[in-house]
Amino acid sequence: AQPIVIKFSHVVAVDTPKGQAAAYFKKIAEERTKGRVKIDIYPNSQLFKDKEELEALQLGSVHMLAPATSKFGPMGAKQFELFELPYVFDSYDEVHKVAEGAVGKQLLRSLDSKGITGLAFWDNGFRCMSANKKIVTPNDMRGLKMRISSSKGIDAYMRQLGSVPQVMSFGEVYQAMQTGVVDGAENSPSNFYTQKMHEVQKYYTNTNHSYSGYAVIVNKKFWDGLPKEIRGTLEQALRDATAYNNKIAAKDNDESLAKVKKTGKTQVIDLTPEQKKSWKKAMLPAHKKMEDKIGKDLINAVYRETGFNPTTL
Amino acid sequence: MILTLLDRLEEWLITFLIGAATLIIFVAVVHRFGCSVPVPAIQDLLIPINMSWAQELCIYMFVWMAKFGAAYGVRTGIHVGVDVLINRLPGKTRNKFIIFGLLAGALFTGIVGTLGSNFVWHIAHTEQVSAELEIPIWMVYLAIPCGSYLMCFRFLQVTWSFICTGQLPHHDHSHVDGIEEETIPPDVNWLEMDDNLHPHDLKHKKLGNGSKEGGGK
Amino acid sequence: MSVAIIFGLLIALMITGMPISISLGLTVLSFLFTMTDVPIQSVALKLFTGIEKFEIMAIPFFILAGNFLTHGGVARRMISFASSLVGHWHGGLGLAGVMACALFAAVSGSSPATVVAIGAIILPAMVKQGFPRNFGAGIITTSGALGILIPPSICMVMYSIATNTSVGTLFMAGVVPGLLLAIVLGLVAWYRARKYNYPRLPKASWTERFRAFRESIWGLLLILVVMGGIYSGVFTPTEAAAMAAVYSFVVCMFIYKDLSFKDIPKVLLNSANMSAMLLYIITNAVLFSYLMTSENVPQMMAEWLIAMGLGPIAFLLVVNGLLLLAGNVMEPASIVLIMAPILFPVATKLGIDPVHFGILITVNMEVGMCHPPVGLNLYVASGITKMGITELTVAVWPWLLSMIVFLGLVTYWPALSLWLPRMLGMM
Ligand code: NA
Ligand code: NA
Repeated sequence: AQPIVIKFSHVVAVDTPKGQAAAYFKKIAEERTKGRVKIDIYPNSQLFKDKEELEALQLGSVHMLAPATSKFGPMGAKQFELFELPYVFDSYDEVHKVAEGAVGKQLLRSLDSKGITGLAFWDNGFRCMSANKKIVTPNDMRGLKMRISSSKGIDAYMRQLGSVPQVMSFGEVYQAMQTGVVDGAENSPSNFYTQKMHEVQKYYTNTNHSYSGYAVIVNKKFWDGLPKEIRGTLEQALRDATAYNNKIAAKDNDESLAKVKKTGKTQVIDLTPEQKKSWKKAMLPAHKKMEDKIGKDLINAVYRETGFNPTTL
Repeated sequence: MILTLLDRLEEWLITFLIGAATLIIFVAVVHRFGCSVPVPAIQDLLIPINMSWAQELCIYMFVWMAKFGAAYGVRTGIHVGVDVLINRLPGKTRNKFIIFGLLAGALFTGIVGTLGSNFVWHIAHTEQVSAELEIPIWMVYLAIPCGSYLMCFRFLQVTWSFICTGQLPHHDHSHVDGIEEETIPPDVNWLEMDDNLHPHDLKHKKLGNGSKEGGGK
Repeated sequence: MSVAIIFGLLIALMITGMPISISLGLTVLSFLFTMTDVPIQSVALKLFTGIEKFEIMAIPFFILAGNFLTHGGVARRMISFASSLVGHWHGGLGLAGVMACALFAAVSGSSPATVVAIGAIILPAMVKQGFPRNFGAGIITTSGALGILIPPSICMVMYSIATNTSVGTLFMAGVVPGLLLAIVLGLVAWYRARKYNYPRLPKASWTERFRAFRESIWGLLLILVVMGGIYSGVFTPTEAAAMAAVYSFVVCMFIYKDLSFKDIPKVLLNSANMSAMLLYIITNAVLFSYLMTSENVPQMMAEWLIAMGLGPIAFLLVVNGLLLLAGNVMEPASIVLIMAPILFPVATKLGIDPVHFGILITVNMEVGMCHPPVGLNLYVASGITKMGITELTVAVWPWLLSMIVFLGLVTYWPALSLWLPRMLGMM
């Protein structure tokens, strides 16, 4: 019989952790379903761009995606912006506690009404500030033109720091930094290194101020139409792919940071606990600003899970 | 009367959109430039102003301009095709191809208009908003059905007038305002003007290549 | 199989003379309707999102800037400046025409616009001075093509959209080949003028040259606004295009005062008309390449071409042949948008630099615009000179031949394009 074809589209290169995890998922899923399922991966925005892939998924033009969690706000799932709350997560463990716990389940279930089934969260990394000006204290951010990806949450905390956020597509960033259209950006070490930003940024400060991750989602109608045992096999395969992704993402970030240091072109700045605290304090008002979108209860639920206490700052 | 109003409305809309989009980006660039000027007074004034919406608005204005401008373009005959082959055909056969092409345009834009309406209807039932301005996305996407249906109408209009009068709108790329006609050298051979390569209206027979179309000089 | 059907259908629809954008769209619709289970709704989505990209907006901005410049007296002042510098050499006004085209190309992104702006003024003047008409027509038709090689360039914006290559780097890469081509075209003009003893202008004094320079400075400053603005980081390429539009508006309106307020809506409307046409082709081409990606055509083509064992040298030869062939029947925007997504993956696999490949495609498009049966520069020049296409084709050949030789140079000498952007650290 003809195999069931699942079109899996994403917007990053094949050699990134997400790209590798997608390929790994394809491999194990096809093996375990013994060829009854064929997964076609379209990397690099070949089929759909960042801006259109969610609508395409809802229309059924593509079956599976792994968009950044920041992309869910505009489609009416504003709760997903909780991932952009600055400094709410101190480690991957805290992220996983939330993502795999009740809050994460609630988030994924909230997609049902939009014709989408949420399956898993995949790590990308923690964003850190970089610029051509030395950034140590939050005050250093004032007046800096910072490239961000389109997100209300990120826009809010960048403004909170007095910088001027500039939405720009990923492909334009290198040149914008090189020429000075923007002064800096926030990126995980892995993104920073693979986009060769160390060639055009003098300083990279380990602020680790916000978490960047993806949600793996499928078209609900398509997913519910799959035979039950296949769905089970795929779900298990995805759990394994998630573990695989999170492992290589963490490793990739560590290695990338080491490589950036090794090039010697970018000075990597580590923050003392006191300095980090001043960053947390400076960015905390952004939580309040994002409250009416995410919901106070949900934010408090995240605080409880991660042990974040705003009053101690 | 209503048609003239529609024509003017279409022209005013796209004129406004291209002009306003240019101004918006100009202001956004000046704003960003001002923010990085190391004068605290100016910075205090400018940094709190949020211009993040400028790019998105500019893009949406241009998409609307593109959709309605494409309809206007049917009226001005600016959409180019590979007409080398059909222009070698005898007049009557050529006219059939021209009508076929125009009707194909009407068919395509009609289908797209309908698909677009369905699509907008579908999206209007979601809570999708645009990323920066947070306007309901279906309003933005309305450009597709509206623009396409208008374009379909324009194709039918041009087909009808071609059947009735034999005239096609023709965009003249070499026309420049302000360059007076007197500057054309006196030794011009006016009969060589016709290049026999564009679909032109039948009334231009007098300008040459007449034999193929059965018209005399 | 599906490849044959897709291209067969596309070509069949195109040769009926319908707009290329419509034939692209209808091909996609009929294929999706009959042969796949891809939801047809995605067509409507793609028709919107296909141009929902800030980088693409450089096209309307550059067209608007170009229209202001063409309507205003910028071109006329550039011609006087160029004549004062090179008018006394063999070829006189002709050489000035090449130089004026190069200058105008540095502020305008389109070739036909360059032909119109410079040609409409200089060609009548040349005839009055006693040059044969075909000499001037040949020069302007080909030199106008510099419009897309010397930055800014709408053609390069199209290529960058189709392949995700940086526009800023492409612009810089076009500078050296652009200047070299201007010199080559000038040399051909000089050689022919000397051979047939065409008239020369009296040598201008340095005072006259300075005055001409001062008069044209506002137009020339636009080069600084666009290239300087991009390189110094004040703007992104798209923003530079918007600034160019505002700047040329100010210059034509308030400094040269060649334009009055009542002309503005007309200029805006004309620009919107031209931009909408190009954006419409882009949307449909995006739709078409979506269909091809969805059917895995680029990958199949790439595998097929690589399996044939073509090395980079043979591959580039094939590319040139293919593009020159396409240049016979289609205009550049459609060619770039249809061909680049197919050829690009192979080029990268063979280790050809994306920027070099973009410049190569641009030069190909230039050649295509100057020869019949379809060549926009040729049409425009024919409109200005009132010469027939056949006559013009004969007039153009000495320069066209040198352009083809130049194409070979660009193809097999990547450093020509890549040296400047590398020097500037852009790649
Ligand atoms: Na140019
Ligand atoms: Na041609």
